[in-house]
Amino acid sequence: MYILLIALILCHGLGLVLPFCVPRKPQTQGIVGSVCACAASLIGITLGLSGLVAPEPVTAIVASPIPLLAFAVRLDPLASFFVLTISLAGLAASFYAMGYLKEFHGRVSVAALAALTNGFLLSMMLVVIADNGFFFLIAWELMSLASYFLVVTEHEKADVRYAGFFYLVMTHVGTAFVILTYLILFQSAGSFSFEAFRHPEQALPDGMRTLVFLAALIGFGTKAGIVPLHVWLPYAHPAAPSHISALMSGVMIKTAIYALIRVYFDFLGGQFPWWWGFLVLLVGTLSAILGVMYALMEHDLKRLLAFHSVENIGIILLGIGAGMIFQTYGLKEFAALGLLAGLYHTINHAMFKALLFLGAGSLVYATHTRNMEEYGGLLRRMPWTGLFFLIGAVSISALPPTNGFVSEWLVFQTLFLSFQFPDLFLKLMLPIAAAILALTGVLALACFAKAFGISFLALPRSAHARHAEEVPTSMRIGMAIPALLCVGLGLAPMIVVPLLDRITAPLTGVSISDKVLALDGWALAPVNMEFSSVSPPMLAAMLILGGLLGLTLAFLFGGRMVKRYYKTWGCGINLSPRMEYTATGFVQPIKRVFSTIYQPTIKLETEFLQESRYFAKQRKFEFHIEPVFEKYLYNPVVHIFMRIADRLRILQAGSLHLYLAYIFVTLVVLLLFAV
Amino acid sequence: MQISPHIGSQLVDLCSALLLLTCFAIVAQRRLSACVDLFALQSAFLALTAALVAFLTGNHHIYIAAALTGVIKVIIIPRVLKKVIERLNVKRELVMNVNVPAGLLICGALVMLAFFITQPIIPLGFLLTRDSLAIALAIVLIGFFTMIARQKAVTQLVGFLVMENGLFLGATAATYGMPLIVELGVFFDVLIAALIAGIYTNRLQDAFDSVDTTHLTVLKE
Repeated sequence: MYILLIALILCHGLGLVLPFCVPRKPQTQGIVGSVCACAASLIGITLGLSGLVAPEPVTAIVASPIPLLAFAVRLDPLASFFVLTISLAGLAASFYAMGYLKEFHGRVSVAALAALTNGFLLSMMLVVIADNGFFFLIAWELMSLASYFLVVTEHEKADVRYAGFFYLVMTHVGTAFVILTYLILFQSAGSFSFEAFRHPEQALPDGMRTLVFLAALIGFGTKAGIVPLHVWLPYAHPAAPSHISALMSGVMIKTAIYALIRVYFDFLGGQFPWWWGFLVLLVGTLSAILGVMYALMEHDLKRLLAFHSVENIGIILLGIGAGMIFQTYGLKEFAALGLLAGLYHTINHAMFKALLFLGAGSLVYATHTRNMEEYGGLLRRMPWTGLFFLIGAVSISALPPTNGFVSEWLVFQTLFLSFQFPDLFLKLMLPIAAAILALTGVLALACFAKAFGISFLALPRSAHARHAEEVPTSMRIGMAIPALLCVGLGLAPMIVVPLLDRITAPLTGVSISDKVLALDGWALAPVNMEFSSVSPPMLAAMLILGGLLGLTLAFLFGGRMVKRYYKTWGCGINLSPRMEYTATGFVQPIKRVFSTIYQPTIKLETEFLQESRYFAKQRKFEFHIEPVFEKYLYNPVVHIFMRIADRLRILQAGSLHLYLAYIFVTLVVLLLFAV
Repeated sequence: MQISPHIGSQLVDLCSALLLLTCFAIVAQRRLSACVDLFALQSAFLALTAALVAFLTGNHHIYIAAALTGVIKVIIIPRVLKKVIERLNVKRELVMNVNVPAGLLICGALVMLAFFITQPIIPLGFLLTRDSLAIALAIVLIGFFTMIARQKAVTQLVGFLVMENGLFLGATAATYGMPLIVELGVFFDVLIAALIAGIYTNRLQDAFDSVDTTHLTVLKE
């Protein structure tokens, strides 16, 4: 295990240095960096898996000369699980990068990009294995900075710089709260080691515990992208290169989930009032529904995916929040179920979101645009990308037999168990959350029907799409890895659940894997078979059998097959791409229904022929939705800061003499005071 | 040869006073080359003071510091500055932020301030150089004031070097000089600073056709 850990750090370290050492050919630099990252990810997968099954947590510590700081690492099941998740996504992204980096040749330094990717992966790894608060904060900050520099890869574009700046500000506001969390814990523990956080010298008073809870929720929530702290996500994630978007959306925001579980269940010992769990649940519900609703209105494919990350973080928090409430009432088995559902969705989302972002990257690679309205007909030109994207879309829409279905089903079951609560309020609230989750699922399905249909089906809507070609093999392998895992994780809950149980058992105190799995693992039944149960492999088999049955029936009774090649019939008119459903048109009904939330502005200008008002010469349609959070929450705060800064600018006249005079006056005044 | 401590102390005070006097001369002088000459003279006085202290106290490492002052501040730096002035073809400082009479008055006030501040400290000392502390502080303040009052980069540089002289005198006065290694480091720093500032002045000339640092305000957004 130690050797694996050292090898992992060494591989990433090589990946940081080597790209700068090889000849100045971007091709070689990119491949060298990506190979290092691939090797490190493979080691990470082994390390994560062995950490998950290890009987005792593995620890290592390297002392440092700085007081309070120690480079301590600890691989308990929770950390190992996140190491595994990061490594899986890292493997896919690094394979993908080998081909994808060609996009950046000659424009930006590929060596720097490859090295930073390694640094980013390493810093995420350190965040989840750190066993010292100080060390954790350093890794956390390194992760933020590495991702910032990756976001601004294409810094020659103004919107990318804006996105980067927005991200940098938001992430540091979050970090301030994270530091606050750790400082409060440090105060009672007397040391920055996580072991001391767990068993502090003097217990935290209730007020302080609440402060820790809130500060952690805001601090880590900013990184996770919970509503209303999510506003940076739709800017930063699309601006980054696609394999980085996949890592940021797939795993970076998950490090915040890791930290939340670590703080709530580990440091605070899983002892909390019911409203903590309820607040997490509320935030999760809001994030889930608003995330998917804003995603629906996006026509920029990567922005759409970024909003879906908000949604899925919401679903994960629904599971964790419900688990926290159960924990309060001492229903440990259900608490474990909630946590397990949240963690299951964590790895699932990491896989399908990485897959979708890589797919989106392939589309951008082939068409050089992110606007869905300019796609169309890509399935014929890029069949592999289409297949992988479809698998991702099915997963994120939580349809069987993929992984998204299993974890969302488990979240649902957790929420339905609320009839166990003594409190009527909670008895009512959890089913409402479940109803909203159901709505979220439906809207996600609509969203991906749009994303896939508009992008891949029908005729190309632009020259870009007409000339698109399938992406290189390395990129296809990069997408195939998470695609296979999406299906695998969905079909094999009997393997995944016992592994996840190893994480939740120490946190909640009970092991539930034999209670969740029924029929030798072939079915999932959280409470008992009568209450509810589902068997993903069986469902998959039935889907395949159903399909085969249909084909057989068609073959038997469908008559003779005649093949005729002819254009699609269009009522006598030649079909053109302008007749297709547009992405805007597709979501029009949903926009109408939820107009209170979207507050859309629609502008329709028609120019008529002079002769008659019955014939339109030109129509111009414009619509955009109100970014509510930015308008009512962020802009006022920004305005206040800008006004203060404007006032302070008077001091900064730009004159050397004036600056010298400031120093001089300060010096004289201080000297006079000193007397 | 032995000199009574009282006379030794008086000699040190005299040298320090000469240093202060050259400060006033620099403030009153408009011609740039004369300013540099006055700085060289001041540095010579400083070297003399340091040598005197070394002789009176028997701390031989101060001799080295004095010698370095002689070489670097009396010879090398003034030469560099003269070259810069020659190349720039700027002879006089015509416009000042504070005119000469007002500047002299302010400097007088600064000297009073320095004595006022050090008044409670000096009786606590027991070194024969202790009275120089007030003068050293006054020189630092006047140097600083020169940097604010003058607009040309060269005179600002002279102001900076005067400040450094004041600090050196202060260090000698308060503790018979800093450890030798620190002194060496400081000399090196000053030399580098002077060179950098010389280059900076040249660049300023190239960019704005002038060495007037008020032009730098246009760099602001």
